[in-house]
Amino acid sequence: MAQVMMKDLNKKYDEVHAVKDVNLHIRDKEFVVLVGPSGCGKSTTLRMVAGLEEITAGEITIGDRIVNDLPPKDRDIAMVFQNYALYPHMTVYDNMAFGLKMRKFPKPEIAKRVQDAAEILGIQELLKRKPRQLSGGQRQRVAVGRAIVRHPQVFLFDEPLSNLDAKLRVQMRVELKRLHERLETTAIYVTHDQVEAMTLGDRVVVMKDGWIQQVGEPLELYGKPANRFVAGFIGSPAMNFVEVTVADANGALWADTPGFRVKVPLASAGRLGPYRGQRVTLGIRPEDLRVATGSDGADHSFDTVVEVVEPLGSEILLDLKAGPNVIVARVEPTVRVKHSDKMRLALHPERVHFFDNKTELAI
Amino acid sequence: MGSVKAVGRARDIRLAYLLLAPAVLLLLTVLAYPVGWEVWTSLTDLSPLKDGAPEYVGFTNYRRLLAGAEFWRPALVTVVYAVVTSGAKLALGLGFALLLARSFRGRALVFLAVFLPWAYPAGVSVIGWYWTLNPPTTTAYAPFMGHLKYAVDGTFGTGAWAFVSVILFNIWRGSSFIGVLLLAGINAVPPELFECAVLESKSPWRRFWLVTVPLLKPFLALAVFLSLTSAFADLANVWMLTAGRIVFPIIGTHAYFLAIKAGQYGPASALSLTLVPVLLGVLLVLFRLFDPPRREAA
Repeated sequence: MAQVMMKDLNKKYDEVHAVKDVNLHIRDKEFVVLVGPSGCGKSTTLRMVAGLEEITAGEITIGDRIVNDLPPKDRDIAMVFQNYALYPHMTVYDNMAFGLKMRKFPKPEIAKRVQDAAEILGIQELLKRKPRQLSGGQRQRVAVGRAIVRHPQVFLFDEPLSNLDAKLRVQMRVELKRLHERLETTAIYVTHDQVEAMTLGDRVVVMKDGWIQQVGEPLELYGKPANRFVAGFIGSPAMNFVEVTVADANGALWADTPGFRVKVPLASAGRLGPYRGQRVTLGIRPEDLRVATGSDGADHSFDTVVEVVEPLGSEILLDLKAGPNVIVARVEPTVRVKHSDKMRLALHPERVHFFDNKTELAI
Repeated sequence: MGSVKAVGRARDIRLAYLLLAPAVLLLLTVLAYPVGWEVWTSLTDLSPLKDGAPEYVGFTNYRRLLAGAEFWRPALVTVVYAVVTSGAKLALGLGFALLLARSFRGRALVFLAVFLPWAYPAGVSVIGWYWTLNPPTTTAYAPFMGHLKYAVDGTFGTGAWAFVSVILFNIWRGSSFIGVLLLAGINAVPPELFECAVLESKSPWRRFWLVTVPLLKPFLALAVFLSLTSAFADLANVWMLTAGRIVFPIIGTHAYFLAIKAGQYGPASALSLTLVPVLLGVLLVLFRLFDPPRREAA
């Protein structure tokens, strides 16, 4: 019913080209998250869908209507803003009813919709209060409620959880996910937080400098990042990157760098072939490294020296030095090491990534 | 323990009064004493034309004022002056502010043009206005302005043109100030509040009344108050624009006339003090609107 299509979408300000050739097909009832560092064009893209920014070039379709020239009011969308955007002079009820009043809905219909939304969000008790009498979490619920009562075809969320403290953010994240499953409405959600993106999105769109870097399901982005940026952006702590030389020895390919030398797994060997003798970037996630045991061959293990130990309770993060390279590893909480201990690490050969040094694309 | 605390507290209180003293002294000398003197004068027959000590006359000055045209005519003119200029200034100022809140090419220049009337010293610009409206020499303006003056005076009586020019000058200068004041107000409102309204309504008119005006209420109240005061308490602009030939006196100019030209300090003081309850009333009404929307904690 309400799919959203973006075709060759561009936004140019005087000097800045904020959004570049964005092509995206958001399916009906899908929850799509746009994620990226600040200035990547994610919010601008969302605001073009809302109609708050003019489209420089390209086309946006909501449902089966091209909305480029439709005023925001007629696009059948509802938006939730980062700072809630509640009207300080109106009660919670009036804030939630605002959109319907502006559209001249009959009063009983407004009352019913507001009551229903308040019930879903558990804010019936707050309807008579003013926004300033509410906590951050309650305000955010009201802002979401104001969007729900409109029964829109598409929900637009612009960093809705960024103003909440860490604990509340996790809680609201779960509530939003539950809400989406209940309402079954298409949603576009903008955030700079990759954890929010991974946990909420049916699909995640990673953006940088106005370009879409990769579109995919969360685990797809995590497991098969399309380029070095996505690899480093998704996952925490971030993927380790080490520059290596692709060397040919003993009938196999090796990733060689001062400090360690690991055998390239057969699966990647074919693609790495053309890079023989050249430098590429090896990527390995902290969780794909572990303390080597006797059964780990020399092919994919190497010596390191412990620099920093960060015990997190459920796990320990280690900053290790392998030759000139600093590598972060996530190890079992039972591992007992301290600064300047020697330690042999093994890497999961199937989970090593390689990136072209020039294009930064995955090899 | 308790006594130590009490001693410390007493010392704090003494220090507080000590720190307050300069401000209190200043207020007493420049505000309380002159106002007190004026109140006392309004109850006497103090006059430079009368020998001997001034005599206490009670409310005679007030009674005489309220009984004659000496008070009612300037009062009426003052109200017309204040209401007409405030209405126009508010409308124009709000227009300027809404215009300048958008971004467009040449915005800085327009801002300068809007702000200039306020930034320019009134004493100088008022002469510019006087010469434009009553050209001292023959210029391109002169014939047109001459015709206009005769037309207005011919219709509404001698001095009407001068009164209109006072109103125009006040609007010209004041709308500039109110425009800048309201622009600051608009800039203090998070832009999402306006955007949220754009998402819900196509009609700028509905958005203006349902969102912009309520959000700007505290700033509008302040603007109205400042505008009314500037008109009620005006003297210099009227005096200069009419070169002292005042046919339509307002309370300020008439009090000045009574005191300085006619030497009647008592009635003059009484006349100017009649403004106090009016302004207090206006302030009280507007004060209820002042309560600014408290900022939502981030």
